[in-house]
Amino acid sequence: MRWTKLGLVFDLRAHPLAFGSGDFAQSPQALVLDDRVRIFFSTRSREPDGQYLSHVAFVDMRKDLGAVLGVAQRPVIAAGDLGTFDEHGIFPMNVLRHDDLVYGYTTGWSRRVSVPVETGIGLAVSRDDGLTFERFGSGPVLSATLNEPFLVADGFVRTIDGLFHMWYIFGTAWSAAGAGTAPERVYKIGHATSADGIHWNKEEGRRIVADRLGPEEAQALPCVFDRGARRHMVFCYREQIGFRTDPGRGYRIGHAWSDDLVDWTRDDAMLSIAGTPGEWDAEMQCYPHVFTCEGATYLLYNGNAFGRFGFGAARLEP
Amino acid sequence: MYFSCRPDADANGQYVSYSAYVDLDRSDLFKVRAVADEPILPLGGTGTFDEFGVYPVSVIRAGDEVRAYYAGWTRCVSVPFNTAIGCAVSRDGGRRFERLGQGPILPYTPDEPFVMSGPKVRRFGEMWYLFYIAGRVWKRVEGRAEPVYRIRMATSPDGLTWTKANRDLIPPRIEADEAQASPDVFEAGGRYHMHFCYRYSEGYRSHARGYRIGYAWSTDLRNWTRDDARCGIDVSEEGWDAQMISYPHVFAVDGRTYLAYLGNEVGRGGFGLAALDGGFD
Repeated sequence: MRWTKLGLVFDLRAHPLAFGSGDFAQSPQALVLDDRVRIFFSTRSREPDGQYLSHVAFVDMRKDLGAVLGVAQRPVIAAGDLGTFDEHGIFPMNVLRHDDLVYGYTTGWSRRVSVPVETGIGLAVSRDDGLTFERFGSGPVLSATLNEPFLVADGFVRTIDGLFHMWYIFGTAWSAAGAGTAPERVYKIGHATSADGIHWNKEEGRRIVADRLGPEEAQALPCVFDRGARRHMVFCYREQIGFRTDPGRGYRIGHAWSDDLVDWTRDDAMLSIAGTPGEWDAEMQCYPHVFTCEGATYLLYNGNAFGRFGFGAARLEP
Repeated sequence: MYFSCRPDADANGQYVSYSAYVDLDRSDLFKVRAVADEPILPLGGTGTFDEFGVYPVSVIRAGDEVRAYYAGWTRCVSVPFNTAIGCAVSRDGGRRFERLGQGPILPYTPDEPFVMSGPKVRRFGEMWYLFYIAGRVWKRVEGRAEPVYRIRMATSPDGLTWTKANRDLIPPRIEADEAQASPDVFEAGGRYHMHFCYRYSEGYRSHARGYRIGYAWSTDLRNWTRDDARCGIDVSEEGWDAQMISYPHVFAVDGRTYLAYLGNEVGRGGFGLAALDGGFD
């Protein structure tokens, strides 16, 4: 695949939000409307104790991603209630048009004592093209089970031949590099199906994408798109330890393909997206999302510092 | 008899819970034959749902094995804890158990968002039943977060893959936010009998608002008629069970039917027994 980089198409500093800390536009995900593309992302507020909390916002863009038309005036979904799985933020949210509704598959965060967080995947529904969402229940639609014991997150949902498919991640380890250091997570990409988008059947622990970096590779944010009859998955991956500060261990964009939605062949080189030296994506590329609009296929992604300054895009050449 | 116990609190005053057992003499249940010399299951690993507690536990025979369904405890920041239901198996008659997996056997779902606990596993005919509780809201009470939970059930052909009923089995009686726990189902006389415990959502460490034992009956295990007046037991005038009674478990041995339960301070000193006089009616 050949991608033409379009640069940092949404710079948060040039289009500040009326809420939040002014930092982070993470995990961009597109909803194509008649006259614009509504791109949802997670931004952060800072709590009195200094901790971040993620909120879902959006930017409306021209359909060629060449101009910003407007930004959300407030988060599209309210904060979760006391003790719920998404009480401490939503990051990311995947959107899917279904009948007259927009389904938002949220990854909710709640804080823990021995590890920083636990996550689960919730469903929220919008009746106004994504301006506002209401939760379907206060609990998650996908959460920890016997062989996916924690950190179920990053749901991406499509309907194929009448069946809902979700690709997502589940945790396989919380482990520390050494005594006195904080536990770090490892997660892998999994798959579930559903007749209604609410009740899901997991493959229960099957890791559907092979590791490139070894068993400690953390895989995140799968997104599946088609080229002809072949399914392609983009995701990001990194080392378990040192990924925040060492560019050599940070997120890169990975790729796998499948002809049957069961077996996936990893082939990162086929995607060929790399950072541009000296640019906003030089040190890190993460949280990829592919969508099509008016015949063109776009890749949205975050760059350095996990998307602190905004997100960029690339266009697939025919 | 399986039960749960705690080592001394840590420097922050926090407890972990383990489960263990005591062997009672069949001919005299007040004669202790042996106690477990170690917990039946170690605590879970870092970040797992049962890292800080295995409590309570319900056991069932499955062929040559004994399976334990238990609530695992983790610690949270905005609320003190969360719980989920796990499963472990024993191949030595119930002395030591091994987890079936690192995660819970029953997931959180949209209307069972947290605090899934108090499992009681049963098999009637070909079907497995899990009675348990699920939280519905965390209330703020005098600066503390207190969970409100209700009795729920799930069914399974094998005890491993569960289908939730997704509804409350027992309506609240004393207040809208009544907390219910320990749904213990026993079959006798062509009916199913459920003993459970219930309390007020606030001030429940007092005599007046603390745990009492409730009762409901059913002919189909799905539709239950609550009738606490028929539970057959109340707090005593004085003694170990005068302040509260909770966590009932009904079982039959050699023709007699017993109710095991906790007394004051939710079982700090041990558990007691009552024997059924006559039948359930």
